[in-house]
Amino acid sequence: MGNNFKNKLAAGKSEIGGGVEKPHSYANFLPYILVFPAVMVILLLYLYPFLSSFWKSFISKEGVLSLANYKKTLNLYRYDILFTMGVTTLSTLIATVLSILVAVYLRLSTGWLSSSIGILYRLPIFLPFVVVAQMMRSFLAPHGILNLFLAKLNIIDIENPLQLFNWIGLIFGFVWKEAPFMILIILGGFQMIDSSYIEAAKSVGAKLPQIITKVLIPMNTPTILIAVTLVFCSLVGCFSFPYMLIGGKSPVTITVDIAHRVNYFGDYGVANALGVFSYILVSLLAIYYVRSMMKKGLYD
Amino acid sequence: MHKSGFRKTIEIIIFSVFIFFLFAPLLSLVIWSVALRWYWPNTLPQKIGLDYWFQALGITKSLTLGAVNVIPAFLLSLGIAITVVILTMAIAIPAGYSLAKLKIPALLKGMILILFLLPRAFPQQPVFINLMLMFNKIGLTGTVSGVILVHLVVGLVFAVWITASTFSSIPPELEEAARSVGASRLKAFLKVTIPISTPGLIASAVFVFLTSMDEFTGTFFIGIPFVTTLPMTLYSASGSNIQFASVIALLLLIPSILFMIVIQKFLKAEHLGGIGG
Repeated sequence: MGNNFKNKLAAGKSEIGGGVEKPHSYANFLPYILVFPAVMVILLLYLYPFLSSFWKSFISKEGVLSLANYKKTLNLYRYDILFTMGVTTLSTLIATVLSILVAVYLRLSTGWLSSSIGILYRLPIFLPFVVVAQMMRSFLAPHGILNLFLAKLNIIDIENPLQLFNWIGLIFGFVWKEAPFMILIILGGFQMIDSSYIEAAKSVGAKLPQIITKVLIPMNTPTILIAVTLVFCSLVGCFSFPYMLIGGKSPVTITVDIAHRVNYFGDYGVANALGVFSYILVSLLAIYYVRSMMKKGLYD
Repeated sequence: MHKSGFRKTIEIIIFSVFIFFLFAPLLSLVIWSVALRWYWPNTLPQKIGLDYWFQALGITKSLTLGAVNVIPAFLLSLGIAITVVILTMAIAIPAGYSLAKLKIPALLKGMILILFLLPRAFPQQPVFINLMLMFNKIGLTGTVSGVILVHLVVGLVFAVWITASTFSSIPPELEEAARSVGASRLKAFLKVTIPISTPGLIASAVFVFLTSMDEFTGTFFIGIPFVTTLPMTLYSASGSNIQFASVIALLLLIPSILFMIVIQKFLKAEHLGGIGG
């Protein structure tokens, strides 16, 4: 009993010190045993299919190694690839500008208007895209609330409503869903900036635009870039919303094309080639994200 | 004085536009969910009622509404989500603890971290398609087990990050103190680390629950047509029955709003972006 206790204590000390450990002690393997199931799940159910999407994109219908899938993809879908690039870039850009403006407003203003906006803006963050899709389908419809409202204000003619089941509606929905998430992250960064910097800038005569471009944004660049990255990558990969809003039309996003390729043609080669294009689209920002998260470490 | 009045007016106009664009899409769902008759170009429905709600909740069984009971889909989603939470946390807690507290060589640790970052950075849909091909071979496509495995992948990535960052925020001295008075590593973990990390672990579990309840893309490829979770039911109703689809969308909104009220203060902002892709 006493001996056992001593052993445990000794084993504990050696681990804490990280120094000499007993060979073949189970404690040596403990870190690996604990992390093993999680790593296996991701290796088998994520990394293997992820890598096989590259591999399968080079396998033609006849089962030989070729670029046929890429030729076909560029023939059929080059316009959709550009469309995806345009829509996601524009959405991210609009969401970024909008969220910086709102975050600046929330950082600098006081009063009941700004504090109620500070709570209400969070609503879309927690909604899944499938709910956003249904919302936008009814809100942006030719006879939907937006068109009825604009007609009431005499901005449009009710007989000739805005057609929004296209890139405009897509961008509207993307921004509606993602700008609040960006506000949350960017505002968090702004709040870390000490007010004395803003006061100092004001005291040397800086106006609001200068405070934004010379103080708030430069001091908060990494946070803004992470927000941009997360939003852009999730928009390129977003399937449910474009599928439900513009699924039957043309042009559509890459994700919709992938689903059509799989569901109607069983053509996994071209679907995977399209998948690789979507990887390429996010690759620069994805690498930036992985690198900066690694630098930050897991836990800060 | 005049200038500040002008500023206030501008602020109120911007506020109104903001509120309109934020809430009108939600309002649109609410109105459609109770609209029994709504002929264009009337601004509001001519006849409203809760018929579609009653039908969706299984209280009435009318043949004319074209809406079906969503309670089975809700229970299926709930069952899958609870299973996914249990499996995910059972795997994520040890992994998060190991990454945060135990010694793993830097290179290996770096590789593991990259492995857990990739699913956030790259689009997941192509991965799910190849997962479907894998599952076809072993008969998991179209089964609840297959859907649970997809949700496990989606949830695990977040859960490992959140649990690891929770554990690493606990000062190592606490466990060391417990062990210096004779507690085993396991006992120190159970009696010291777990109780302190409870808020973070609960936040992580709730987050996994929500990602499972809302998961669309993986379920679409792995589960259809046999596994109809709540988001799948919404998808099928969306094209055909706008009232019914609005009811389901509002039902799916409830857990999200609860989450927003209860749990968000426990989570770092960066983790919140991954719901319901």
